[in-house]
Amino acid sequence: MSIASDIHKLLDETVRRERGWLISSLVSRLGPGKVELAEDVAQDAIVKALATWPYKGVPDNPRAWLRRVAGNAAIDRIRRSARELGIEDDWDFASPESDVITPSLSDPELDLMVLCCDPALSAQDQLFLALKTVCGFTAAETAALFFLKEDTLSQRLARAKRQLRSQSGELARFPTRFALKDRLPQLLKMIYLMFAWGYLPRRGEVLFREDVCREAIRLSESLLAQTDGQTAGHHALHALLLFQAARLPARLSVDGRLLTLEQQDRSKWDQARVFDGFAQLQAAQSSPALTRYHLEAGIASIHARAPSWARTDWASIVRFYTLLDQQAPSLAVSINLAVSQVYAGARDHAETELQKAEAFPGAQDLPGYHLARAKLFEARGNLPKAHEALRRAAKCRTSTPVGEHIARQAELIDAEL
Amino acid sequence: MAKFVLMLPHAPNRYNNIGEGEFMDLMKDYIGWVEEMSAAGKYASGEKLLAEGGKIVTNRSGSIEVHDGPFAEVAEILGGYMVINAEDYDEAVEIARSHPHMKHNETIIIRQTDPAADD
Repeated sequence: MSIASDIHKLLDETVRRERGWLISSLVSRLGPGKVELAEDVAQDAIVKALATWPYKGVPDNPRAWLRRVAGNAAIDRIRRSARELGIEDDWDFASPESDVITPSLSDPELDLMVLCCDPALSAQDQLFLALKTVCGFTAAETAALFFLKEDTLSQRLARAKRQLRSQSGELARFPTRFALKDRLPQLLKMIYLMFAWGYLPRRGEVLFREDVCREAIRLSESLLAQTDGQTAGHHALHALLLFQAARLPARLSVDGRLLTLEQQDRSKWDQARVFDGFAQLQAAQSSPALTRYHLEAGIASIHARAPSWARTDWASIVRFYTLLDQQAPSLAVSINLAVSQVYAGARDHAETELQKAEAFPGAQDLPGYHLARAKLFEARGNLPKAHEALRRAAKCRTSTPVGEHIARQAELIDAEL
Repeated sequence: MAKFVLMLPHAPNRYNNIGEGEFMDLMKDYIGWVEEMSAAGKYASGEKLLAEGGKIVTNRSGSIEVHDGPFAEVAEILGGYMVINAEDYDEAVEIARSHPHMKHNETIIIRQTDPAADD
């Protein structure tokens, strides 16, 4: 990799991460009504701090540097114009270094995430808000993640923030422990979605964003530590994240191509994460609850356990997906169920399942749907139809590495036709 | 190896109303270049100058007077300078050609430092 592309990646990750941290820290000091102000101040401070790097080069520890310099710039700006910004004059800046810059014992990012999970907001707006503030994505990046126009997303964010601001009473303070428990299901969903976007962004130049995956795992860990009455579902979710993250190092070839589960070198899986995943899965079985996270973690654990692709227990995977399909039906579940049925040899079932998938809105725009059809046609030896399905898949919008993968599949079949 | 100073001027309002994405792209280009030059042993040092403020001290009227910036009437302000290592002006010009400043702004001024000062 060239120095320039390393720099791009480093800047993207560092700035995103530190912007999220800075916004969260500022909101935790300024109060939940000041999300927008915190965003502005954080952005200004980061831009100011970053502007010296073209002359001085990247500091040895860019994250710590940005946190310190941008953090101080943010405090300066607020101190200078507290009244004008509509902040209490008695805001105590006595020891800003130790106050805002050092993370407190409680996790400001988690606090902000709980705040974003406001029941008055739609689930999607909650997620937009969290990605934009807690995770530090820009409006443009967040819009790209959800295939929205930047303007549309900005409008929705502005509305959501207005709504947060207009809340009084409970929201004059940060959500309490009680609220945290109340909002746990939504928090878990948010962590799940955040991880999913990191794992497969569906757009852009990269196959996955490991920093986003790591952040989701970190938030999940932090949340596990804060909720004493830990739910079995949360352990299951955490197991799922660990199993999936364990495979990240094996998902790209040396020359940057996507490697399917079948092609992956399993010795590259992160065994420490697999091990921790099984421990979490064990903890998830402490109650009879069977959430969708249990089922998904169960599927991931079967892959983690399989010594090779050929020795994968497809029958069990079909069983888990069938339960998932009953409990939380979705387009993605239908597609995955069909694919596992193909591998398990149940082609007729797979065909029925794909007909079900087709009925979901958006199926035609999802490359996975066409890839699943190609898989079924290929298993039945109908290469012309498989090729046609791959061509449909190639027309769908997706990330560059996935697009290239689809093109290679089509070439392979072309060669056999 | 001689030392050359690259002076990087830009229009006074160049960075005033710039979007976040565009700013980040600029940063990436400049930082990437500096890191590459450092790795090649060509980059010595540099300072960014603050855009706001600035003073002019003059004795033109017979006594010393101090005037405030900014210098709104000027066509360009100096954004900063960088010191590079190069054999001669030819190499310094080659290095300046590859500078992202040539992509994002208009002018680079090159001056060699007097080597006698280093002896």
